[in-house]
Amino acid sequence: MIDQFVVFTLKGQVLYHFNPQGRKLAENHINKVISHLITSPSKKEESGKYLLFKLDNFAAACFIGKQPPLVYLVTYAAQDLELNQEAEQVLDLGFGLWDSLKLNNSVLQNLSGKGVKNRHNYTWILEGCDSNLNKFDEYFRAKFSVIKPGKAKGKPSVEGNASKGSSLTGSKNNKKTVQNAKTRKWGRDGIIEETNVGDSSALDFSELNEEARASSLAEVDKEAFGTFTEKGEFLINEIDELLNKNKAEASKKGQSTGGAFGFLQKHLLGNKKITKEDLSKVLEKFRQKLISKNVAPEAADHLTSRVSQDLVGSTTANWTSVELTARDSLQKSLTEILTPGVSVDLLREIQQKTGKNGKKTPYIFSVVGVNGVGKSTNLSKLAFWLLQNNLRVLVVACDTFRSGAVEQLRVHVENLAQLTDEAHIRGSKNRRGKSGNDHIELFEAGYGGSDLVTKIAKQAIKYASDQNFDVVLMDTAGRRHNDPTLMSPLKPFADQAKPDKIIMVGEALVGTDSVQQAKNFNAAFGKERNLDFFIISKCDTVGEMLGTMVNMVYATGIPILFVGVGQTYTDLRTLSVEWAVDTLMS
Amino acid sequence: MLELSNSVLVALLVALISSAVLLIVQKNSANVIPGYKVSNRDPTFIIAGPTYSGKTGLFNLLTTDGHKPTVMSQEPNVAEDYMLPSTAKSFRFKLMEFPGHFKLRYRLYDTLKDSTSLKGLIFVVDSTVDPQKLTETAEFLYEILGLTERFPDGVDILIACNKSESFSSRPPLKIRDALEKEIGKIIERRVKSLASVKKADTTSGVEDEDGAPPQSVEFQSNHEFRFDALDGNVDAMDGSVLKGQIEKWECWIDERAVN
Ligand SMILES: Nc1nc2c(ncn2[C@@H]2O[C@H](COP(=O)(O)OP(=O)(O)O)[C@@H](O)[C@H]2O)c(=O)[nH]1
Ligand SMILES: Nc1nc2c(ncn2[C@@H]2O[C@H](COP(=O)(O)OP(=O)(O)O)[C@@H](O)[C@H]2O)c(=O)[nH]1
Ligand SMILES: [Mg+2]
Ligand SMILES: [Mg+2]
Repeated sequence: MIDQFVVFTLKGQVLYHFNPQGRKLAENHINKVISHLITSPSKKEESGKYLLFKLDNFAAACFIGKQPPLVYLVTYAAQDLELNQEAEQVLDLGFGLWDSLKLNNSVLQNLSGKGVKNRHNYTWILEGCDSNLNKFDEYFRAKFSVIKPGKAKGKPSVEGNASKGSSLTGSKNNKKTVQNAKTRKWGRDGIIEETNVGDSSALDFSELNEEARASSLAEVDKEAFGTFTEKGEFLINEIDELLNKNKAEASKKGQSTGGAFGFLQKHLLGNKKITKEDLSKVLEKFRQKLISKNVAPEAADHLTSRVSQDLVGSTTANWTSVELTARDSLQKSLTEILTPGVSVDLLREIQQKTGKNGKKTPYIFSVVGVNGVGKSTNLSKLAFWLLQNNLRVLVVACDTFRSGAVEQLRVHVENLAQLTDEAHIRGSKNRRGKSGNDHIELFEAGYGGSDLVTKIAKQAIKYASDQNFDVVLMDTAGRRHNDPTLMSPLKPFADQAKPDKIIMVGEALVGTDSVQQAKNFNAAFGKERNLDFFIISKCDTVGEMLGTMVNMVYATGIPILFVGVGQTYTDLRTLSVEWAVDTLMS
Repeated sequence: MLELSNSVLVALLVALISSAVLLIVQKNSANVIPGYKVSNRDPTFIIAGPTYSGKTGLFNLLTTDGHKPTVMSQEPNVAEDYMLPSTAKSFRFKLMEFPGHFKLRYRLYDTLKDSTSLKGLIFVVDSTVDPQKLTETAEFLYEILGLTERFPDGVDILIACNKSESFSSRPPLKIRDALEKEIGKIIERRVKSLASVKKADTTSGVEDEDGAPPQSVEFQSNHEFRFDALDGNVDAMDGSVLKGQIEKWECWIDERAVN
């Protein structure tokens, strides 16, 4: 059994909710689904016309209507075949009935400002809908009671009805009853929109629906529905008729206005209902443009399909062409994808963790990524910034594979020591006998296998907290993201070192492969741990081709925090989403 | 047939373009991209704030005088030509309510940048939240102030401390103080943060146009941050959307609507 069925607007108004147990609206589940829709648009599964979600401890299926923009949502305990099917049936019924009872028309009317205005000069979205809404509730409940699992699931109920039927009416009639029960089952699915890309079997049965209606009018199958009262049955028939009528009407209209006026509307006048065809050319153009900026084809497809989802069925504003509208929508999608879903204030987090009271615990970063992307360089830039903020930094050489890696890091530490203290003599040891000075120090233990890496990490953290460092920066070896033997040590490393932030460095130059890079690195830390953010390096070398940024965020939903813009220690910047979007759209 | 209609169309187009161009130019000159970024000249009140503070509930209450169930918003609510019947001369204005989700805040920021007649901003906070945990709320208010303080007289802000009927609700002054203090700390941290990337960082030779006005005001960190030092007034008042007790907020709107 489903948990609840809800109809709500994108603006946050709940228009209808139903709970089979009669409980009140469980808004936290709904909010989780919405939050999921907002933050990780690329992760939802689409099954035919519905979006299915699997969240922490429940599942959801939803349909997003366009005209008017309403969300029909079902939440239920878990994604299994039976419940998924029931959820889809409830959605079919819900939005079919909603439309059949002309609630869409009323809502559209009210939204367009043509409805009755109250003393605030405002039209409530459900103004004048009371009686239809009550009817909706009545009809919905009536039909819902017959799509309970098992009954709705075709086979068992058909057989049950059949045996009942046979004992009463003999074998010939029995056959007919079976068929009726079956067709009724499809009747319960409500209408299917003409745009429906769902399974064709549903469409096949729509013809039988007519038959079912005819026979139900003839009242031949009373026994098959013996559990219902006269009134209940009559109501069901009435509802089915309503649904079927609406469906027939829906398939009649929907022809777009062609010819000269349509052309004008599309390019100049605006106020045009957007169809898939209108968009296809424009979107292909945008797609090419994105790809030319290094956006991976699958990410470009995703973005253009979001535009399509956003616009098909909606109406362009006055004096706005379809192309401009689509451009606008693309800009929105890019902005939303690149904007972090959470606030990240590193200085605050560091302050909090290293706080004054009691013993200091250092804040730990570790930096991962493919070879040569700029891990060590950008880690050093990060160190420089932290040093400027009077934080004491321990740099840990966890790249124990590539020869020269430790020496390279030592050069950075020497440079940074000099930058913080002009008197620092290169190569001198600090009072603890280590490379660096009192502000920045290198923690090193030579070269070796991945066991050594974990050992170094643990020792370094202990050392850092004993010696009152504020921040630990762990450089790791570069690794090919598609080589499991290189990737697998990352998980035990993170489990042991427990970094506060795992940063992946990706270079802007990489292009399409960045999708897979980001996915594999994000997956390398297991189910419980994700990357925390990206640094995209070498943005100074790619001009406007910033596609890598989109790719990596698209692939993982992990935000970009910083971008590298050169080879000196000051060449690290906070990402500006506006800058990135403008550059990508130009 | 189609070709014919298309050639007729060309003639029609020429005629129409000449008349339409004016309109289009007028509409698009301020902004290259029309649509949600169209500049807003109407007298406007804005409702903003973090998620789950009761913004949509407040919008519903103001527009329909009733409390209605809500879920997380993905789109702004807008009431054109809204009227508060209590207002003298029954002044009409635009009432806009924006989603609080991080990823959608750009909608608010764009509107703040593109509006020319902002009468006031109602910043709704959940007064049951521990003042110690207001950092992110303060961050949001800080971003808003950066945009509203660009206007010569700033924009008046009401910190609407919602859910006051709840036993765990905190007094408005306490919340205002906590936000003020937090913003002070944020300003200090912002100064220390890495600068945002600009065009000039990645495109050699291109200097950022000095003439362009800064996107938002930078607050000084050399003295303590005080709401009172801002151009816009910042008031804090309690209320409860749930109980329909929002008279104080309505008065606040009234006062700003008339002048
Ligand atoms: N132009 C430019 N070069 C960079 C940037 N970041 C890193 N590099 C260069 O990329 C090369 C590889 O960097 P390195 O830090 O050794 O990469 P690692 O193997 O990932 O540690 C070095 O020559 C760096 O100077 C950047 O933001 N811009
Ligand atoms: N206790 C209490 N709850 C409220 C009040 N106002 C709103 N809420 C609840 O707070 C939640 C969020 O409200 P909503 O208007 O959707 O917040 P928004 O995310 O800011 O738009 C809902 O569960 C409301 O019922 C109030 O005055 N008191
Ligand atoms: Mg390296
Ligand atoms: Mg809301």
